[in-house]
Amino acid sequence: MTKHEFEVAMTCEGCSGAITRILNKLGDEVKFEIDLPKRLVWIESEKEMDILMETLKKSGLEVKYNGTK
Amino acid sequence: SPVLPLNIWIAGMTCGSCVRSIEGRVSQVAGVRSVAVSLEEGKGTLTFDPGLTQPELLRAVVEDMGFQAYLEE
Repeated sequence: MTKHEFEVAMTCEGCSGAITRILNKLGDEVKFEIDLPKRLVWIESEKEMDILMETLKKSGLEVKYNGTK
Repeated sequence: SPVLPLNIWIAGMTCGSCVRSIEGRVSQVAGVRSVAVSLEEGKGTLTFDPGLTQPELLRAVVEDMGFQAYLEE
C-alpha cells in the first residue's frame, strides 16, 4: 500500500478530531496517522492521491501534498 | 422571500480555527443568509431561505467537515 504524506493546517485537537472523523468515513481500507504539532497526516491507502486530497479538504483546512513516504 | 432561524449544535470544536472554518464553509451554502458559531455554547446560529436549503442539508454540511452536528440540543 502506498503511504502518502499531507500537510494539513490543523491548529488544535478539534481540527485533528475532524480529520480523524473524515478519514474514518473512508472505511477500514484506509490506515492513517496524525501528528498535530507537526501538522502532518500520513495515509496508507490504495485510493488515488487526489481522492485523499479532496477528502482532507472537506475539513475546510488548507491541505498540501508532501509526496509518498 | 422569508428567512428562517436555525440552531445547529456542534460537538468537537475546540478552538477559533474550527469556528472560522465552519462559518466559512456554511456561509458558502446557497440559501444561507447568516451564520455565527459560538465555541462556548457549542452551537451555530443561522438564518436561511427555506426555498433554497433545509436544516438537514445544513446539518450534513457540518458533519461532512468532521464535526458532530445535531438539530436538537
